[in-house]
Amino acid sequence: MTAAVPAERAPATIHRPPLGARLSRAVLPAFTAIAVAYLFLPIAVMIIFSFNDPLGRQNITWQGFTLENYLTVWGRPDITGPMLNSIIIATVTTVISCVLGTLIGLALTRYQFRGRGSLNLLIYIPMATPEVILGASLLALWVSADVQRGMPTIVIAHVMFCISFVVVTIRARISGFNRSLEEAAMDLGADEVTTFRKVTLPLIFPGILAAALLSFALSIDDYVVTSFIAGQTSTFPLWVYGASRFGVPPEVNVLGTLIFAFAFTMIVLQILWGRRRRAEDQALAKEGQA
Amino acid sequence: MYEPNVFRRLVALGSVLVLAVGCGIAGQSPTPGGSTPAATTAGSSATPSTGTPGTSGTPGTSGTPGATSTSPTETGSPDTSATPGVSDVPATPAPTLAGQVTWANWPLYIDIDEETGGYPTLEAFQQQTGVAVAYQEDINDNAEFFGRIQPDLAAGNPTGYDIITPSDWMVARLIRLGYVQPLDKSLLPNYEANVLDVFRDPWYDPGNQYSIPWQAGIVGIGYNPTLTGREITTFDDLLDPAFAGRVGMFSEMIDTMSMALLSNGVAPEDATPEDVQAAADKLLTSAQAGQFRAFYGNDYYDALAAGDVALTMAWSGDVSQMQLYDNPDVQFVVPESGGLLFVDNMMLPNGAQHPADAYALMDYWYTLEAAVPLTEYIGYFSPVEGVSEQVAIDAQAERDAGHPIRADRLDQIARDSFPSEEMLQNVFNYKNLSEEEERQWNDLFNEIITG
Amino acid sequence: MSRRLRWLTPYLFLVPGGLWLILFFVVPMIVMASVSLQEGSLGTGYTMTWNISVYPEVISQYSLQFFRSLGYALIVTLATLLIGFPIAYTIAFRGGRFKNVLLLLVILPFFTAYLIRTLAWKLILADNGFVLGTLKSLGLLSPADHVLATPLAVISGLTYNFLPFMVLPLYVALEKIDTRLIEAATDLYASRRQAFLRVTLPLAMPGVFAGSLLVFIPAVGDFINAEILGSRDTTMIGNVIQRLFLDTNAYPEASALSFVLMAAVLVLVAIYARAVGSEKLTSG
Repeated sequence: MTAAVPAERAPATIHRPPLGARLSRAVLPAFTAIAVAYLFLPIAVMIIFSFNDPLGRQNITWQGFTLENYLTVWGRPDITGPMLNSIIIATVTTVISCVLGTLIGLALTRYQFRGRGSLNLLIYIPMATPEVILGASLLALWVSADVQRGMPTIVIAHVMFCISFVVVTIRARISGFNRSLEEAAMDLGADEVTTFRKVTLPLIFPGILAAALLSFALSIDDYVVTSFIAGQTSTFPLWVYGASRFGVPPEVNVLGTLIFAFAFTMIVLQILWGRRRRAEDQALAKEGQA
Repeated sequence: MYEPNVFRRLVALGSVLVLAVGCGIAGQSPTPGGSTPAATTAGSSATPSTGTPGTSGTPGTSGTPGATSTSPTETGSPDTSATPGVSDVPATPAPTLAGQVTWANWPLYIDIDEETGGYPTLEAFQQQTGVAVAYQEDINDNAEFFGRIQPDLAAGNPTGYDIITPSDWMVARLIRLGYVQPLDKSLLPNYEANVLDVFRDPWYDPGNQYSIPWQAGIVGIGYNPTLTGREITTFDDLLDPAFAGRVGMFSEMIDTMSMALLSNGVAPEDATPEDVQAAADKLLTSAQAGQFRAFYGNDYYDALAAGDVALTMAWSGDVSQMQLYDNPDVQFVVPESGGLLFVDNMMLPNGAQHPADAYALMDYWYTLEAAVPLTEYIGYFSPVEGVSEQVAIDAQAERDAGHPIRADRLDQIARDSFPSEEMLQNVFNYKNLSEEEERQWNDLFNEIITG
Repeated sequence: MSRRLRWLTPYLFLVPGGLWLILFFVVPMIVMASVSLQEGSLGTGYTMTWNISVYPEVISQYSLQFFRSLGYALIVTLATLLIGFPIAYTIAFRGGRFKNVLLLLVILPFFTAYLIRTLAWKLILADNGFVLGTLKSLGLLSPADHVLATPLAVISGLTYNFLPFMVLPLYVALEKIDTRLIEAATDLYASRRQAFLRVTLPLAMPGVFAGSLLVFIPAVGDFINAEILGSRDTTMIGNVIQRLFLDTNAYPEASALSFVLMAAVLVLVAIYARAVGSEKLTSG
């Protein structure tokens, strides 16, 4: 194959545009930029209205610029408390569902075993179940088991509906992977754990990252299921929904903006710090596929 | 609460349920439906879990209504005991305060000190009585909150709340199902002395046996004259084809159906099934003709303020806010055909663990020192005598002290949050629905809002 | 691990997650299945009567909303695929070291409460708001035109909210494609178009399959977008179930309708999987 590469061809590590060159060079990035802008349109509105100075209860018409909301929000435990709960729940949910989901994903793609069909069913059905039914049935479970509802029950529910999304995402990554690299590592004397840590994990990392992002978004945004099994724990979506009866205060936008800014900064920093290591990992991964 | 033994119980419960279902299918005995919110009674003597060996090891399962109640009437069907029955928890609580009380309310429904984030009126209450209030903003929606606490109430478990704050129609449902305790009025002297007459003996709870009002408002019509081009006076204007596609309705069944009944000249309280059918038909015809832009919850506010709808069902306090801050054009009117008074209420759910403290807190809200700061912050129709007068006085004081914005806000509350006598003349009661009626009304309404 | 116990490995991987799903999904669902066969009311309690006729009843009563939901979800899946593929493609092949930043950018908007996002959309799409107002004043739209409360609004809302569920799996699948394969194709005198259709696209199929499932399945049962952005004529099956359960307290009907929905979705997924041959694709 490589023999056919003419001398003037770029080396393989440089990504060549597989579509029409012009399309790929101008249209695609432009399209992506527009799409990202589209995704951010409501966020821009949220950020703008975090600086609004509404006189009444409703924060829907622009009434003047102020920074005051960014100070007053800290004196509002009624808003920050639920937000903190939501972040904790989403973080724990993400970790648990990614571990459990990745294991299932690996098992489904790497091993032959009995019951694969039923397992597929088990993965897809929760996604197809209306949330109100998920919530109500879980509540029934907790009531009959006489378990107080609160953060643990919320996490359990969120993990339950996130696992499916993780498995499906991870499978899209693992399927079709060449196992030769792992086999090579084993042949060279690495045990299974080392092979997993040094070879498999880096290979499937993008899948895990994507799944983690999905889980976090699903968990931090969930309203219906949570509302049933929250007990006396309030989460951000619950609070905001209830608040909408009276008018969502600008401090809610402030918190949304801050979370947004924080996540953004963290990732940029992480990218800057972890750039070199990732480059190495990727080089490894590419070789693995060769 | 999340110790390992809970987990063990769960695993046991899981196997019990699986086994039970297996047995249930085989033996034609009922499945463990008793453990669902739906199933307040499994309705059979041979409940599955008693038949499985796992029960002894899982005391938790015996908490399920279906599993314990061999006779369905005991815990299972509270409505047979609508008045005393289930709630024969002593109506007179222990005179001593426990020092704490847990209260479920809606978000943003209390005054907040925006510096400290504390609740000044609740802190003052604690100073006075030594009772600490666990103030929980746990109600986001009446139906959802009901869905959340119903299984516990049906099973006879405590909900964890000492006071809950549902809206009127939900009050009626909770009473009907026997989920709440009758109130001992001798423990509510301030309430007896200071409640406004209009709030006495409400439709949803005759004689205020189970509930006392928290805050209230009027359901009428909000409209934008520049968009309608004419004055709006009655509910039938909402059905005028001239406004097709620019009309908003409430997605809350009881509000919309009651207003439609009124427009047919029927007081909701006297509505026969035929009246309801006629009102529903009228709404359905309009709905099918595309008269209504949407059925709104709270978001009708945005639609009216932005001009997406020209006229819509609306709450009084909201529209005056909108006029002041978001859209000066909008108007509120109590339709000639009649408006509705909605009331959110404080209630004592079954299993409340600190009833004495709950009484103290409920009664506290009927003192001016608590009710006035509350109203000045949240701006709703207070059921307490003298609040509107005091708010007006405070508005003047603020103006004199050179705080015009705050003074305007207080003036607006004093003026618009409290309906005039004339307005109240034309405000009607909802109907206290039986379960059967509730089902009929809901079925008719579902057809109207589901296209 | 000894060779003899090798066969255990997949089960060890499956047990924690599988048990979680069985305990917290299957068991509660069995309870709901029994609810769907009960009759009664809140007041009198519900009794198991094996009332199977509730199933045909709800199917015939709500078939319109059913097919509408399936239709919307199908359109939304196609729309997210059309919008999402170029995004994922750009990030995977052109993202360079900003891949992860770009990926995060796509998902970051979904870390805020849906209510804030959706209310923002209502402001943006208001009849005389920023977008429509401008178009109207330019004379491109007539004053009566509106987007909110139309199927377009609901489908756009769904497309917006489910876009990341398409982009992420697509990215995950595209990112692992060895670009040398594509080069080999072009070297062998395939046009770029052919290379895309014959090499890139087939290799991306696991992502397309995963993304379609992650969008289609939850979109069918969604109710939030129809509730906030729609009108009477955009009622989806999720709204019906929500209303039957919470407002009408018709628990058996709501449960039955849910099972019908789940069954329909599973059948469609099975058909789709067979058509794409994805079982082969995704099971590697």
